[in-house]
Amino acid sequence: MSNISYREVNDDVVRTMTETGRSYYIALSLCLVGIVITFGLPWVYQIYTGQGVTGLHSPAYWGVYLTNFVFWIGISHSGTLLSAILFITQTPWRRSIYRSAEAMTFFSVVTAATMVFVHMGRPWNWYWTFPYPNQRELWTNFKSPLMFDVFAIGTYATASFIFLYFGSIPDLAAVRDRVAGWRKSLYGALALGWRGTDREWDLLQKAYTFFAVFIIPLAVSVHSIVSWDFASSKIPGLNKTIFAPYFVIGAIYSGSAGIVTLMILLRKAIKFEKYITHVHFDKLGILLVVMSLLWTYVNITEVFTGWYTGTSYELESLSYRMFTTPFAYLFWLMIACNTFFPLLFVFRKVRVSIVAALLISIGINIGMWIERYLIISTSLPRKFLPNMWRDYFPSWVEISLTVGTFLFFTLLFLLFVKLWPSFSIYEIKEDIGIPMEKKGH
Amino acid sequence: MNHSVLGFFPYADRLLGAAARLKQAGYRNITIFSPIPIVHEVDHVLGEKKNPIKFFTFFGSLTGFFFGTTLAFGTAALYILPRFGKPVWSVTPTVVIAYETTILLGVFATLVSFLFFARLPYYKKRVYDIKIGVDRFGLLVRAEEEKLRYVEEVLKEAGAEEVKRIYED
Repeated sequence: MSNISYREVNDDVVRTMTETGRSYYIALSLCLVGIVITFGLPWVYQIYTGQGVTGLHSPAYWGVYLTNFVFWIGISHSGTLLSAILFITQTPWRRSIYRSAEAMTFFSVVTAATMVFVHMGRPWNWYWTFPYPNQRELWTNFKSPLMFDVFAIGTYATASFIFLYFGSIPDLAAVRDRVAGWRKSLYGALALGWRGTDREWDLLQKAYTFFAVFIIPLAVSVHSIVSWDFASSKIPGLNKTIFAPYFVIGAIYSGSAGIVTLMILLRKAIKFEKYITHVHFDKLGILLVVMSLLWTYVNITEVFTGWYTGTSYELESLSYRMFTTPFAYLFWLMIACNTFFPLLFVFRKVRVSIVAALLISIGINIGMWIERYLIISTSLPRKFLPNMWRDYFPSWVEISLTVGTFLFFTLLFLLFVKLWPSFSIYEIKEDIGIPMEKKGH
Repeated sequence: MNHSVLGFFPYADRLLGAAARLKQAGYRNITIFSPIPIVHEVDHVLGEKKNPIKFFTFFGSLTGFFFGTTLAFGTAALYILPRFGKPVWSVTPTVVIAYETTILLGVFATLVSFLFFARLPYYKKRVYDIKIGVDRFGLLVRAEEEKLRYVEEVLKEAGAEEVKRIYED
């Protein structure tokens, strides 16, 4: 990267925000129309008609909406977390990718939150989840993992946004200096009057370190708490102590794969091949192999934990998931996507092959979505006694809203690329090196 | 009356050399502008700065911990709901709530203290040049008018591309 000048970095990043091609508007319009059709209208239909339009029923009151919720919270896990870990360990290849990864975190949390509202049935009562003084003197139940969720995800969304915005202040100032018109006013306000003084940089670095230190335990707690939504119940297939590490590892795994997919698409779309190089995919590929092995290990442990209980209902839950169609197809597809294909990253040729990295990373997230779907849809419908058994399959409304979440995430990201410096100008410059006359630059 | 001299450098080592000379000559009001963080290099020349943020972060986190604990315990006391002989005040779930609020208020305190000490947001006119956001390093020295000639000489000798005097209103 040493052959790139500082000015070029400013030009390239500002270009992504100011020059907009026709294909961008087409993608944006398709997303908007798609969201109305796949998300907006079915949701209105569901609210108007009632939750009966979904496939949810007794005893399976949790379904695809919560699968999507866990999936998107999982996707959010690598952005900010990876950025924080790589910042603390001073890993140089972080610099080109972390801004978009952090944005990915924030947008996935927002996307996950939409699923909570959809699942609620009466979303206008959302504020009932918050502890607020009311006439009945009734308070929320702080012993419920669902309340833990409200606090954990609320904190995570807030901290992730602050982490993203805070790290962007110097870049927003750099953009402010280059643009005119409404953009000048907008970025002038967002840059807060940043000038790049030694005092400002010093405080920024110190505060950023604190944020990074906060983010790591926070991210771990968020997915642990999400896992307790399930694990603290007594349902066969859910009541397992391994769930917290299982979910956290799964989340980092799917989040890392999400970063790979996103970076490949982004570098192609905005022509940033010189900033996101094969080195990045090489390192991320190694990370995915490690996460794949960890996930496989925890997955095997999870299955064995169920098997070793020796109870008929746990064994039924396992056999329903692993050997009964149609879930068995999904289970073994998940194993193929998450355990076997990522092993190809052992070979450097595969790691630096963009097509292979794209396919495997998408495969990992298909597998991770299936994992969450199987956890929910093979446990609740197979409660203790056979007279309680009733299969769960999502209705068209649930499938449509699921597609809608992907379009919603894409829309947020498209807006981000146009309105925010999606690459950190100052950190890419750090990668290039400090210009010193003695060494040159 | 105090005025300033601002010099622009293409190389950081040239700027740091000039800053070191001026500091040695007794100039105290020195500000360095840069497009990237050169915190360690600046600390080496101007001395390490104190970190006031850490106290705010610590007390913010502590406040968050007490807030979370009080919220969970206090609301349990306000509306006692006995369930199966389980304790009204339960430590384990309270720790989870307190853990999250500790982080939340710690993050807020860090952000607010950063803004306070960095004096941001600030939207009035201040000494700045858009070159700094691209690829130039700036050295701003504020001193009495009679001492500024020496500053200008040092900056030019050190290799500043441009040196300008700034008169404040």
